[in-house]
Amino acid sequence: MLEFFKEGLLQFLSYSGFGNCTWGHIIMICIGLVFIALGIIKEYEPLLLVPIGFGIIIGNIPFTDGLQVGVYENGAVLNYLYFGVVKGFYPPLIFLGIGAMTDFSALISNPKLILIGAAAQFGIFAAYITALLLGFTPMEAGAIGIIGGADGPTAIFISSKLAPSMMGAIAVSAYSYMALVPVIQPPIMRALTTPQERLIRMRPPRAVSHREKVLFPMMCILLTAFLVPTGLPLLGMLFFGNLLKESGVTKRLANTASGPLVDIVTILIGLTVGASTQATNFLRPASVLIFVLGAFSFVIATASGVLFVKFFNLFLKGDNKINPLIGNAGVSAVPDAARVSLVEGQKYDRTNFLLMHAMGPNVAGVIGSAVAAGILLSFLY
Amino acid sequence: MKSIYKYIFTVVALFAVTASFGQSVHDLRLNEMMIKNEDNYADEYGRHVPWVEIFNTAYNTVNITGCYLTDDTTGLARAGKKGGEIPARWYRIPTDQKMYMPQRSFLIFFLDNSPLYGPYHANFTPAESKTHYIALISSNGKELLDIVEYPVELRDTTRTYGYVLDGVRDPKAFKQGKRQSGELDFLSEFTPASSNETGVKISKQDKLKRDDPYGIGMALISMAVVFTALIMIYIMLKIFNYVSRRATQKSKAQEEAAKANVAAVKSADDKEVEAANAEEIAAIGVALHLHFGSMHDEESEVITINMPSKHYSPWAQKELTMKRNPRR
Repeated sequence: MLEFFKEGLLQFLSYSGFGNCTWGHIIMICIGLVFIALGIIKEYEPLLLVPIGFGIIIGNIPFTDGLQVGVYENGAVLNYLYFGVVKGFYPPLIFLGIGAMTDFSALISNPKLILIGAAAQFGIFAAYITALLLGFTPMEAGAIGIIGGADGPTAIFISSKLAPSMMGAIAVSAYSYMALVPVIQPPIMRALTTPQERLIRMRPPRAVSHREKVLFPMMCILLTAFLVPTGLPLLGMLFFGNLLKESGVTKRLANTASGPLVDIVTILIGLTVGASTQATNFLRPASVLIFVLGAFSFVIATASGVLFVKFFNLFLKGDNKINPLIGNAGVSAVPDAARVSLVEGQKYDRTNFLLMHAMGPNVAGVIGSAVAAGILLSFLY
Repeated sequence: MKSIYKYIFTVVALFAVTASFGQSVHDLRLNEMMIKNEDNYADEYGRHVPWVEIFNTAYNTVNITGCYLTDDTTGLARAGKKGGEIPARWYRIPTDQKMYMPQRSFLIFFLDNSPLYGPYHANFTPAESKTHYIALISSNGKELLDIVEYPVELRDTTRTYGYVLDGVRDPKAFKQGKRQSGELDFLSEFTPASSNETGVKISKQDKLKRDDPYGIGMALISMAVVFTALIMIYIMLKIFNYVSRRATQKSKAQEEAAKANVAAVKSADDKEVEAANAEEIAAIGVALHLHFGSMHDEESEVITINMPSKHYSPWAQKELTMKRNPRR
């Protein structure tokens, strides 16, 4: 009897997390806890970091294979939820929500700001070149480069197609840097601008009519999707969501897209992406390189945006000049990057409100990163 | 030219140019051909007849309806003219059949002089031809889209001839009526309706690695495309801006005109009022009141409120029980 009890207990222990735990699991669980702490205490993108952090914990609870509980095991509930990430249908749904939330007025009223959004995409391709030099394949390099777009859903969408084995690392890296926008961007902005430039006051944006707002998504989808049809899932949903918002006659749909729908998908995407970072797949030298390259692409993207504004200012006169502190907003971390512009701008002039101006390149960055994603797919997929 | 028209013209031109470059019969090639077909590729009737393979080199669908296949291009200049006669040995790909070739796809035409057998059967056969080439001509009969001159011995051998690398030709040499050496050759294997490149296949990724090892080319192209896409949106927004400004100016002008009009009417009225004395105005007022008052029925001017009873039900309402069109 005692023997049976002892054997049963040992068998149970071998099935439990204690019996299968490795250092890798513990490290990953600690990373998950740090994410949650950053989200709750520092309030860095809590809507993303809390689900991802908890997902990391869930994904790194040690277990014996074959129990159908892991995210990579066929038939497991988490595996079904992860399907939306693998097949890439969560990101377009998030883009639908982003479209339904985003007000493009700042961009419509000052169209030249859209070019900042284009310049900031250079981070993606700089990281692509560097990743190639470090020995990654072109597909992997493309997936890593997209981190510089500062767009979590786009990073997941691209990596699910180009480098599924790296998706966990890429997604976590992208979301981490998005959350760390207030930490990463200000030093670069300060280093690349002069005190005089930081004081530039921009002309207040004009009022945008309802007709312009309704026409904008329709015209944009025609212009961009004709050029890059591979970006259609993201661009189509983004502009469709925006049309729902701006048409004024589909408020219920817009509310659902920008509220419950995007919340549900954010929960699922955050949790499953976090869960996909199982220590066995995640703790590899390649993941460290991905994080380093991700940071690099983010820095280049920010610097490209700021430097482009400085270059652009050479051709602008008077109150048409642009404050280079909004150049960082060319990355598509909406609205965090724009908020950084505001905060930095107010450090030098308390009465200079750059938020609305920065929203222009910020939403242009969303369009730009979706277009860049489409180009990467057309070249590499 | 007004700036608005410049912008509109740019957008339309961009669309037109990209569309014309994107969808073009110029991307078609006579990729592979077999003249002596004894036991090779069979048509839908099981016959072994000469065939030619057309390859769409583009990454988009191309409509080949109306193009001509021929082994005699002597009528090219004539046929291209308005009302020009189409030479007898020109096979027009039927216009009633929608022949769309998807991206990077192949299509076989049988050169068996049996057009009644179906749309994929030409009205000539190279066996009876004095020339030794096959040509593909545009639907307007003016342009030579591709021409492949085959060696005479192809008529006596059961091999195929065509592009060594699928549809890859030197455009400059082709314009001058020449060919790069090694561009066309006897093919080691016959591959109807599939790629001629039967050697070790290079994946898209390896090809990219080989052609652009540092990724600089791709980065430049990609940045150019991103800028193009966003510049197109920029132009569109500029048009929005212009139209909006014009609309604002117009509405402002209208408002001002309306204000001026009201002011003018008011001052005229004031003058008239001053001219008329108070008694006259009172008389006019009374007359108007009487006039408009007489236009209505006499009302009792008593308002009552009929409270619904405790057992009120809309089913009991009289008007609901009435028929729509009561009969006598």
